[in-house]
Amino acid sequence: MKTLRNLQGPALTLALLCGLWLIVILGLLVLKPSVYNLGTVTTILQFSTILALVGLGQGLVILAGGAGIDLSVGGAVSLSAIVAMLSVKLGLPPVLLPVVCILAGAMLGALNGWLVNGLALLPFIATLGTFFVYSGVALAVTGGAAQAGVPSWLLLWGRGVVMGIPVPFLTLAIPCFALAGLVLLSTAWGRWIYAMGFNERSARLVGIPVDRVRFILYSLSGALAGAAGLVSIAWLGSGRPNIGQNLELESLTAAMLGGIAITGGRGGVGGVFAAVLLLVTLKTGLLQLNINTVWQVGIVGALLVFVLLADRLSQRWRS
Amino acid sequence: MYAVRQFGNGIFSMNGREWSLLVACLLAIILFSVVSPHYATSGNAATVLRNSVELLLIGLGMTLLLAMGGIDVSIGIVMGLAAIAIGRVLGAGGNPLLALVAGPMVGALLGCVTATVVVLGRVPAIVGTLGLLGVYRTAVFVLLGGQWLSGLPSSLTNLLATTVLGVPVPALVIAIAYLAVWLALRRTPYGLHLLAIGNSEEKARLSGIPVIKTRFMTFVISCVLTGIAATFYVATYRNVEMTIGSTLALDAIAAVILGGTSILGGRCSLIGTVLGVLLLRILQNGLLLIGVPSLWQPVVTGILIIGVLGFEAVSNRFPLVQLLRARA
Repeated sequence: MKTLRNLQGPALTLALLCGLWLIVILGLLVLKPSVYNLGTVTTILQFSTILALVGLGQGLVILAGGAGIDLSVGGAVSLSAIVAMLSVKLGLPPVLLPVVCILAGAMLGALNGWLVNGLALLPFIATLGTFFVYSGVALAVTGGAAQAGVPSWLLLWGRGVVMGIPVPFLTLAIPCFALAGLVLLSTAWGRWIYAMGFNERSARLVGIPVDRVRFILYSLSGALAGAAGLVSIAWLGSGRPNIGQNLELESLTAAMLGGIAITGGRGGVGGVFAAVLLLVTLKTGLLQLNINTVWQVGIVGALLVFVLLADRLSQRWRS
Repeated sequence: MYAVRQFGNGIFSMNGREWSLLVACLLAIILFSVVSPHYATSGNAATVLRNSVELLLIGLGMTLLLAMGGIDVSIGIVMGLAAIAIGRVLGAGGNPLLALVAGPMVGALLGCVTATVVVLGRVPAIVGTLGLLGVYRTAVFVLLGGQWLSGLPSSLTNLLATTVLGVPVPALVIAIAYLAVWLALRRTPYGLHLLAIGNSEEKARLSGIPVIKTRFMTFVISCVLTGIAATFYVATYRNVEMTIGSTLALDAIAAVILGGTSILGGRCSLIGTVLGVLLLRILQNGLLLIGVPSLWQPVVTGILIIGVLGFEAVSNRFPLVQLLRARA
């Protein structure tokens, strides 16, 4: 107990998340022992890949402060997947599909960045607007129909499993998180992101290129959403216009659960990673227990509210 | 006060923004009448007005919220929950007067929940209400049990379809709600407090304004108005479906922003919101009639929000506009 009491900040978050995760797993073990096999682990990691990528972008945008938030991530995932599939259908060489998908996402993110930076719109209003535009266009262009025609080599990547771990998780999610963690902890860019999140005015005064960093982070969040769209295409074998549904809520919850302060400047990507695993384990568990999927959005929403309230309360107790 | 002087004290006083909205409404009507022969009929005009009733009531509340620097994205589903309560009362053969009270009651209750999380819990409004949106959506599904609430008795419909002195009841209720919100905003300390919080919450707190009370009240007022809107919804459609209210929050935010209320808080225009609602509904109805699939509606609304705000941001940079604005 002594060590737990001494834990602070990210380490405390991680310890709490691991505890919660164990509770979820134990609960599931008692309720339905047959769940425990390698296949479930693979499924959980497969689902996690998409949320992890999106949650990473969301987390970085919030971390950089300035009331930063990206509500459009779900729409960006759907739209970049649709754009990539449609451009292959219109004659683009399939080899370029991954590039187009990520690039489309980056462009959508850059639009958010321009609205927030160039036009100085409030992030939550700007990205709320683009959320409806992106997800609406993805639905309206396709009429709601899934776009088939994924090249077989991409399916091989998307559905491949190495020792129970899905290949996209190994080759995309883990490297992205490792890179983000490295950048945050040991480069000037990482220091800048924390500094501008903690106190934007001081960050500007010491000469940190706040606007450029913020624009790049919004674009990065879009690019990661594009990568998540790519994973969904490669895994499901089609581009689905509603694949990003509820991702804005889930990615926000993952970022908040992961210990990133909503005001920015505090938290890390390790917590987000753990929170993603926790959320997806919880969702998969509910699915295995035959609980209707509508419960998922309610539970995730309740978790989000609970985490934010708990954060405020713990701050009050400390002070 | 500055904010009040700049945007007029009169109930219907209009500034440039509101006149241009009126012109935009008229232009849209003319354009759609030329393109579609089905547009300029009295039946269609009634449809547009009918479709605006709920959004007008919700828009009034959203105007207060946005002017205060708040937001509530769960408002559409709040209407859904209130509608379910009203439907249950009607379905059980309850007194239609009880059904009239049920909507605002449920609205007030949910408003207290939202306000507790957002105001007392000090959670940013957008994140808090997004979380509650998820919870409420599940609640709607669970309460409906996967089925529509349909074939409700017409007692409430008959009650609200009457006219008082030749004025339809919905129009009367909207007029009363408008007047009440206008009075609260322009003639009471509450209104001044609200606008001051919108300008700067920190400064408002330091100058002794009851920030928490004012914010709490505003979230509750907005939800009560939504509960009244639910009453009209149930009376008109006599059913409650699973996807009820899913785009209402976006529509309300768009209408308020179109109307010239600043999301940075501190200034608001009620008549602007009314015109914004009408313009939005005219556009949605017209686009449907000229053959644009309804899937495009959220896209149009989203573009309107970003377009209007972007236009304001760009135009503010031109010196001429700044000069005109300073003199207005």
